[in-house]
Amino acid sequence: MQKLIKDGLIVENVYSLINDEDTPINENSIIPADKWLANPTHVAGIWLESDQNPSLLEGIDLSQFKVIGVNFPAFADGRGFTYARLLRERYNFTGELRALGNFIPDQLGYLLRVGFNSFDFSAEVNLESALKLHKPFDVKYQGDVNDPRPLFLRR
Amino acid sequence: MYQYDTIDHQLVAERVAQFRDQTERFLNKELSEQEFLPLRLQNGLYVQRYAPMLRVAIPYGMLSSVQLRTLADISRRYDRGYGHFSTRQNLQFNWPKLEDVPDILAELADVEMHAIQTSGNCIRNTTTDQYSGVISDEIADPRPYCELIRQWSTFHPEYAFLPRKFKIAVNATESADRAATQVHDIGLHLKKNSNGDIGFKVIVGGGLGRTPMVGSTINDFIPRADLLTYLEAIIRVYNQHGRRDNKYKARIKILVKALGIDEFRSRVEEEWKHIKGKESTVPDTEFTRLQSFFTEPSYEQLTNSNSELTEKLESSTGFARWYERNTFPHKKEGYRIVTLTLKKAGQAPGDATAEQMDKAADLADKYSFSELRVSHEQNLVLADVKQDQLIDLWNDCKESGFATPTLGLLTDMICCPGGDFCALANAKSIPIAEQIQAEFENLDYLYDIGELDLNISGCMNACGHHHVGNIGILGVDKKGEEFYQISIGGASGHDASIGKILGPSFAQEDISEVIHKLVDVYIKQRTPEERFIDTYRRIGITQFKEAAYAKAN
Repeated sequence: MQKLIKDGLIVENVYSLINDEDTPINENSIIPADKWLANPTHVAGIWLESDQNPSLLEGIDLSQFKVIGVNFPAFADGRGFTYARLLRERYNFTGELRALGNFIPDQLGYLLRVGFNSFDFSAEVNLESALKLHKPFDVKYQGDVNDPRPLFLRR
Repeated sequence: MYQYDTIDHQLVAERVAQFRDQTERFLNKELSEQEFLPLRLQNGLYVQRYAPMLRVAIPYGMLSSVQLRTLADISRRYDRGYGHFSTRQNLQFNWPKLEDVPDILAELADVEMHAIQTSGNCIRNTTTDQYSGVISDEIADPRPYCELIRQWSTFHPEYAFLPRKFKIAVNATESADRAATQVHDIGLHLKKNSNGDIGFKVIVGGGLGRTPMVGSTINDFIPRADLLTYLEAIIRVYNQHGRRDNKYKARIKILVKALGIDEFRSRVEEEWKHIKGKESTVPDTEFTRLQSFFTEPSYEQLTNSNSELTEKLESSTGFARWYERNTFPHKKEGYRIVTLTLKKAGQAPGDATAEQMDKAADLADKYSFSELRVSHEQNLVLADVKQDQLIDLWNDCKESGFATPTLGLLTDMICCPGGDFCALANAKSIPIAEQIQAEFENLDYLYDIGELDLNISGCMNACGHHHVGNIGILGVDKKGEEFYQISIGGASGHDASIGKILGPSFAQEDISEVIHKLVDVYIKQRTPEERFIDTYRRIGITQFKEAAYAKAN
């Protein structure tokens, strides 16, 4: 099974991503958000589809989740960048924020800046190569999840 | 002009290194074509009909003579000795080799230039009035605000993969809108409120392409401190709700139309309330810092009464025509704004050879504080020319092919590169421009016709802005043959409107004749003070239509 890149290291993926109806759920599962909303249970985490805005989770204590995943059906679908930022900045989620699906290693710089810290790449991605891209540019104009101050407040 | 500091330099250098790595991985087949595509597009690199096309950003059209010479030099060494100035104030190279692009970018970085976000589904180069800072009726110089937007939008981590491209244009004068702001994804009109505070009227959802639309006002006054958070809110709503299932319905204009401006506005307000007043609120110190890059050059104390100039205007029709058409009043007495037209017959509109670029750079050094601007109409501008040097400049312009005295007239066409270069085009556009230039070569006749915007696009993507031409020409493909649809009544200024299609399309060889017939209707029907667009608005489309489709006797 494909390992993860998490916090800048290649690590074993200890949780299982559930994306069908039949697989039994346990405390190591990351399950679809709407499934959890319909039947809140003790799981490792939940994941959002690309058309599921985090406002879906309004009022829910997100600290109960070790992981929240955001799915990228295609790397050009940039909705997940906004969702990640909202989860961190508006819903104050501090746990593992995991990118799922078809994002690509060259997006890592941006993904890190909007708050993802864990990356579940598709099977064909070479993680050693991807790790070389696991770094945003050293300078940036805007604020981001890691430092909300734009450059004009940092000069 | 804005000058890079160490941070700007470092950022562009990091991008050059990143793109070099991406290009190498693509050439080594570590990156698929599909994965490389958005990466190269975010850096202005298209794969075109015959070769890649590299679009270099010219932020809000400002260019130093050093930069222009570098562009000339790059075009000689890496291309075929010319470049194409686009309607969004950028420069395109049509023949670079993919493997050379990282080196080209490195050379551009040395003169504070780049190709960042000149294509792709991200926030593009911000454009503005080519006369910024030098006209008297400007509310305030828009360029510091353009630079603010440039920095905010450059490598914005959240908005690099929007549903579709996103273009912002800024206008700062009530007398004209030379940046076509109402047909941009966001148009900003700089204004002052009753307290004298600077802010912006915000227009959203304009655009051309397949579904041309004039934008709607979403907010009548956003204080300048709140500009970035407000833009952030608009684009965040768009990033989440813009359509991604059909690229022809993915621009923000479609979302605004589908929701209605009121619902769209309330979604933006809802988003804005979370970020308004937060860190991205711009402090006055930052405006002061940005304004310090756009201070006035060291103007001399002069007057407008120049006897030599007055004499020349009376004695030389050629000079008088050039002065009338290609120069514009300056805010400082004794100065004049001069346009170097890139619309010489026999040359594709907006194209400049390496020699012309060098020459224009020389003229900027000699006459205009070593700076130039690129205009939305694909010409170059010298913003600060002393009136007592106009005659010398005119002579220099004639030698270099910059003096075609037709700015704003029918042959000052906006034209995309078309089927000769572009892989997207359905039809050629440059030969159409040439045909029209040949048909309307008589200057007396052109002057009699007066102001008329004629815009040509080779396909629905509308890079030549045909929808907002007083006369618009669109290349279409009919069973493998190139035909042209003609529309009239478009305009891109404060009175922006989308042109109406006359009817069935025409064969290539008939275009100039049809244009002639349309012009004849205008000449016959006009009142003394009316421009083409005014007559059209008064009499409507019918007579134009009848003339265009009338059978020859």
